[in-house]
Amino acid sequence: MLQWEKLGKLFDPRDHTDHPWMREFAQSPSVLIFDDIVRVYFCSRPAPDDKGQYKSYIAFIELDRKKLTRVVRICNEPAMGLGGCGTFDEFGTNPVSVIRHENQIRAYYAGWTRCESVPFNAAIGIAISYNNGESFERIGRGPVLSYSPDEPFLLGSPRVRRFNGTWCLWYVAGKRWIKTSGRPEPVYKIRMATSSDGLNWRKAGVDLIEDKLGEDECQAGADVIERAGRFHMFYSYRQSLNYKGREGGYRIGYAVSDDLLNWKRTDELAGMDVSAEGWDSEMVNYGHVFGLDGETYMIYQGNEMGRAGIGLARLQNAPDWFKP
Amino acid sequence: MKWSKLGKIFDPIKHKLPNDCLEFAQSPQALVLKDRVRVYFSTRRRDEVGKYLSHVAYVDFTRNMREILDVCDHTVIELGQLGAFDEHGIFPMHVFDDGDRVLGFTTGWNRKASVSADSSVGLAISKDRGRTFQKHGTGPIMTASLHEPFLIADSFVMSIGGIYYMWYIFGTRWKSFSETEPSDRVYKIACATSTDAINWQRDGKQIIADCIGDDECQALPTVFRRNELYHMYFCFRPCHGFREKGRNSYRLGYACSRDLINWTRDDSNAGIDLSQDGWDSQMQCYPHVFACDDRVYMLYNGNEFGKSGFGLAELV
Repeated sequence: MLQWEKLGKLFDPRDHTDHPWMREFAQSPSVLIFDDIVRVYFCSRPAPDDKGQYKSYIAFIELDRKKLTRVVRICNEPAMGLGGCGTFDEFGTNPVSVIRHENQIRAYYAGWTRCESVPFNAAIGIAISYNNGESFERIGRGPVLSYSPDEPFLLGSPRVRRFNGTWCLWYVAGKRWIKTSGRPEPVYKIRMATSSDGLNWRKAGVDLIEDKLGEDECQAGADVIERAGRFHMFYSYRQSLNYKGREGGYRIGYAVSDDLLNWKRTDELAGMDVSAEGWDSEMVNYGHVFGLDGETYMIYQGNEMGRAGIGLARLQNAPDWFKP
Repeated sequence: MKWSKLGKIFDPIKHKLPNDCLEFAQSPQALVLKDRVRVYFSTRRRDEVGKYLSHVAYVDFTRNMREILDVCDHTVIELGQLGAFDEHGIFPMHVFDDGDRVLGFTTGWNRKASVSADSSVGLAISKDRGRTFQKHGTGPIMTASLHEPFLIADSFVMSIGGIYYMWYIFGTRWKSFSETEPSDRVYKIACATSTDAINWQRDGKQIIADCIGDDECQALPTVFRRNELYHMYFCFRPCHGFREKGRNSYRLGYACSRDLINWTRDDSNAGIDLSQDGWDSQMQCYPHVFACDDRVYMLYNGNEFGKSGFGLAELV
């Protein structure tokens, strides 16, 4: 099993009252490494409207590369505005995943729209930064990855990587909406697409991770790194109902693959669980794994799907980076 | 071009319709069968919140289009499940005779919060000569994409030289004209191609020039070949005030092309216009051209978007 040393909470937007658009939530962290700092993009929210509905914006903080628990900068403005009337990202840009490409930085994000019979829908868009990641411009008003016959709604949670010159996008696709006495709840599964340019994608068309909590398990936030010649995926999974507390909340799962497409699920090796108390005692989720200066880190969101902020853990051992 | 009007040929309130539908017979689309012409249309019922749901039904005519043989009383295609693109209606469904199967290209509707609805195109397949259709998946085959951000709709498909061509529309913007009224949409005609009728190549380019400015809405293209030329009919209107009777209502437009790429718009040569009075005196919309027994027909809707049925004209 992997062992992670938790380094604590890095950032909680509720500690900073001068950013009304970033009032609470730090979700879906994604890092970009610079010479002196590590920039962490995440998604944050202003107060909900009078119907209790949220919008979500892309934000970032910067960490001291020499001491990652030290926040040296908080962005002042959202890194990108929301989409126009009727577009796929009119009501939110969340989650987000950033990657360098030549002299650009690209953001892959899920756009939120609002519907009548179900609360929301999502599709995946791309935005590009030409100013070193300070702000992003969407490459079109529509999504890049959207609905298809066997991925009918809720395309979200993108995580982009490049391996051996091939662009890989892990994302989720909705399966069905479950009717409840309150608002409908979705079921979604992890999928992937590949591309030679990061813009035109070919969907693999299969669910990658077998269910552990039954067919209504929700899976999201699939982040992949390459170690010891194999591919390692950390993702989040939960029940589709009663998931907002410790009992049914998100946990970090783990799977390993040799070809990026066929994955063996072995959650018991993830080694990343909720704490006994504190900001990540009910949920650990949306982990993003990255290597830096000889170490491997996981940055992740905690309780209430990241309402309580983001924290960091450092890998202490990798006994066998996981022989089959 | 010159069309001779044969009058209104179907009135939905005179027939019992499936799915508890009561009014509207919109966007008629023909499937020519051995012993009849089956005309699909979208009709409506109100749901529990009082909003319309569009369902597909059909009526069978004799091959000379003079007599009604039958009106379907069964569900031709189910609406989509909770959250699906076609949950709140299918309007229209274009049918394409593909040999041993009939392909249905559905325009599915789903209601939204900030704008009234969005639409995408789905595929359904019939193996019983168009009596019923089964969906190819829960999701659409054509939906919003990078340069076509919403409102993909109104497919019309032809097979030319082994390639499927689809003419369709995509939304370009939602426009607000006042604080108290909902936003109005603008949409334009485009073309996609495919080798399997499932995966379509498209480029987000408008192919028919506007004649009443940027805010012109263009809908329901229908294409046929005659005398070495391709001919397209469609309907168009301004984006605002189109529900009022009179000059802002849908009219029929016309364009022609030699190469399927460049289209010359020439509405003055459409050869069909509003009647002096009667069922198509204020509006003409949703044209569909088909051939049967060496005759070329146009089905279309009249006043009130087809609330009281559709009519027929014949090319002379």
